[in-house]
Amino acid sequence: MPATLTGLRVLELGTFVSAPFCGKLFAGYGAEVIKVEPPGGDLARAHGPFKDGVPNPETSALFLYLNTGKKSVELDLRRPRGRDAFLRLAARCDVLVENFRPADLRALGLTYAALREVNPRLVLVSITPFGQDGPYSGYRANNLIAFAMGGQMHMTGTQEGGPLKNGGYQADYQGGLNGFSAAMLAVLAAERDGEGQHVDISVQHCMAPILEASIPYYSYLGRWAGIRRGNHMSSFIGIYPCQDGHLGVHVMPRNWKPFTDCIGRPDLLADPRFETQALRAAHNDELMAELYAWAATAKKHDVYRRAGAMRAPITFVHTMQDLIESPQLNARGSIRRIEHPAAGTASYPGPPWWMGPDGGWTTGRAPLLGEHTSVVLRDLAGLSAPELAALHNEGALG
Amino acid sequence: MTAPLQGIRVIDLTAVWAGPFGARLLGDYGAEVIKVESPRQWDLLRALGLIPRETPRWYNRSAYFNHNNRDKLGLALDLAIPSGRDVLLRLCAISDVIVENFRSDVMDNLGLSYAAVSGVNPAIIYVSMPGHGKTGPEKDYVAYGTNVEQLAGLVSLSGYEGGEPMKTGFSYGDPMAGTALVGAVAMAIRHRNRTGEGMYVELAQRENLSMFVGEHLVDFSMNGIPRTPIGNRHPFLAPHNRYRSAGDDSWIAIACENDGQFLALCQAIGRPDLPGDERFSTNVARKANEEELDGIIGAWTLQRGHYEGMHILQRAGVPAGAVLSVPELLSDPQLRSRGAWVEHSHPDAGTWEMESPPWELSRTPGHIRVPAPGFAEHNSYVFRDLLGLDDDAIARLYAEGATADTLDESLHR
Repeated sequence: MPATLTGLRVLELGTFVSAPFCGKLFAGYGAEVIKVEPPGGDLARAHGPFKDGVPNPETSALFLYLNTGKKSVELDLRRPRGRDAFLRLAARCDVLVENFRPADLRALGLTYAALREVNPRLVLVSITPFGQDGPYSGYRANNLIAFAMGGQMHMTGTQEGGPLKNGGYQADYQGGLNGFSAAMLAVLAAERDGEGQHVDISVQHCMAPILEASIPYYSYLGRWAGIRRGNHMSSFIGIYPCQDGHLGVHVMPRNWKPFTDCIGRPDLLADPRFETQALRAAHNDELMAELYAWAATAKKHDVYRRAGAMRAPITFVHTMQDLIESPQLNARGSIRRIEHPAAGTASYPGPPWWMGPDGGWTTGRAPLLGEHTSVVLRDLAGLSAPELAALHNEGALG
Repeated sequence: MTAPLQGIRVIDLTAVWAGPFGARLLGDYGAEVIKVESPRQWDLLRALGLIPRETPRWYNRSAYFNHNNRDKLGLALDLAIPSGRDVLLRLCAISDVIVENFRSDVMDNLGLSYAAVSGVNPAIIYVSMPGHGKTGPEKDYVAYGTNVEQLAGLVSLSGYEGGEPMKTGFSYGDPMAGTALVGAVAMAIRHRNRTGEGMYVELAQRENLSMFVGEHLVDFSMNGIPRTPIGNRHPFLAPHNRYRSAGDDSWIAIACENDGQFLALCQAIGRPDLPGDERFSTNVARKANEEELDGIIGAWTLQRGHYEGMHILQRAGVPAGAVLSVPELLSDPQLRSRGAWVEHSHPDAGTWEMESPPWELSRTPGHIRVPAPGFAEHNSYVFRDLLGLDDDAIARLYAEGATADTLDESLHR
């Protein structure tokens, strides 16, 4: 079966994480993704961590990961000929994904109206921290700021430690995934009637409603605990240090028996203080002390295997090494080795989901900067050799 | 203009958060989503509404349920009873998508495997959303919300500087799987439009979330160096932190990406001397001395509210943002301006505000079309109007316990 998005062509004006992650998903499922990079390349190329710690625009782990399977065109959109070439590319594409600040995209003359003039079928996907309009739409933001304004920081961490960002670029990734799913809806609409549209993704708007029950409880009942619970929602939903790592416990009412069996503590099952979820909550600190003591003597792999066999809800906190060594991920082929001419071979997660029995997931490497500039501008934008030379002379090709 | 998923019928067998949230998004953007609940095994979120059980139809008043199940119709059906299963297969025959997130062996045991369902409708799109996947040595392991992020590698990267790994503030993997569901379903519909073929889609929640830490995996596999949590800081940039503001548990995030933004920050906080100070003159120097720098910035932020600090800094061109609490999200001017919260009425639950569909599609916008279904609310619509069952057939379903108008209230206590 050919990959699901075969035949779809995506232009990406993506910087750093959010729009590039969106573009990566398109490329993974078989779309042709053309990444237009400014002279010098996407900012992610300048960020580490680099292979062996040596700065090199071709060996940034962040860039390598987020740009698998794409083509790279190095093009200066601030130059008239560069912008003109870009519009000729846009005329040939189904989707354009970008994450400029709205004012910066306007300054390049690349509004939705201008793009629609060259391609009425085009789906323009804009992924920004706050969206295209509104009082903060001109504000500058990045992952940390979006994480704060989307409400996820205030509820993460401990009360005394203060609000905490999650590891990596979680606000940006949320923007990229939301952008992808929304873009696919617009692609369906465009393929139905031949009309494109502008898809406006506000990362803040995507993040704020998904705080588990917090918004429903506050909006409907006026209830808000207002505290950060650190590693424990309760004694029976939380993380405990063990001998060689950390164990994650998530006991729902029906799991109490297999849980106590698994940890070898039938006495807890028999203990009237812990008989129901409500009683366990009422005796939270006592139960927590028991579980700390149990975990301190346990080893993560042993507990995890035993819990799996006994259907007890205990996992362990997987490090990157644990992911690479995971029997589950390796058996399923959901970590792939990809070779790159400058960075060598590395492990990449994916697919995020499996389309059909073989997953429909392709694993091309990230492009070198400008690797496809000439061929894309010639074959797709239809530039003649003299036009390419003029672009080069103008300095528009980096 | 019609909605992007107009004309698509979805059978939603999922419960709790990931699946229901994703299926609700499909409903927001135009699909007819039929949520199927067993009278004996109804959705846990109905029980997590903090509504006293003395309240009439308390199970229809759970806001947690109603936010995640609006834009759906409700059908009561026990799939473990043969006639219930038969009704489901008849419904599959006239539907486009079926989504389930049962334990990995449940659908097979019910006789509702992909082979069985595609047997009655080869064009159907069948989506499973297991924790670990339907294959592999861990496929039958239990994995609930907080487990998914532990398995995905995210927790090992999160936490205060020098501290232990830290969970996220919520079951993060759930809404990410739900969000991914929409993209996966739309891809499968596109494929079907072009080929006429249905598809089996498998969305293992831990795999989906592991995509959100991919650069760390690439890094580790290239360099072999484990990276430990660094709190709110950035591996290379400084300043990059959240600082106390005036007020109780009030904070502001500030993150400079370059010298220009740092210069603007120094001007705005009345410390134009800092960029000339060799401890702070370059990003490398700032990173090396960030503890000290954070102290200087924190002294300024403490003098004013988080919003005020944000506006001052943003006007100067500095990336800054208030660390918003839940009540502040509900009143935030930007979210308000975007229409993120809309008034909503439900026949049992009354009127309150809930989130609008998150993505603005200029030509085919999403809408909240119907409130979440009361339990079994659309039995008649499905049995009579969609499936054409007669009174006798429907009465038999009730008599056999394959359906009901009320639920077993003893569950989820």
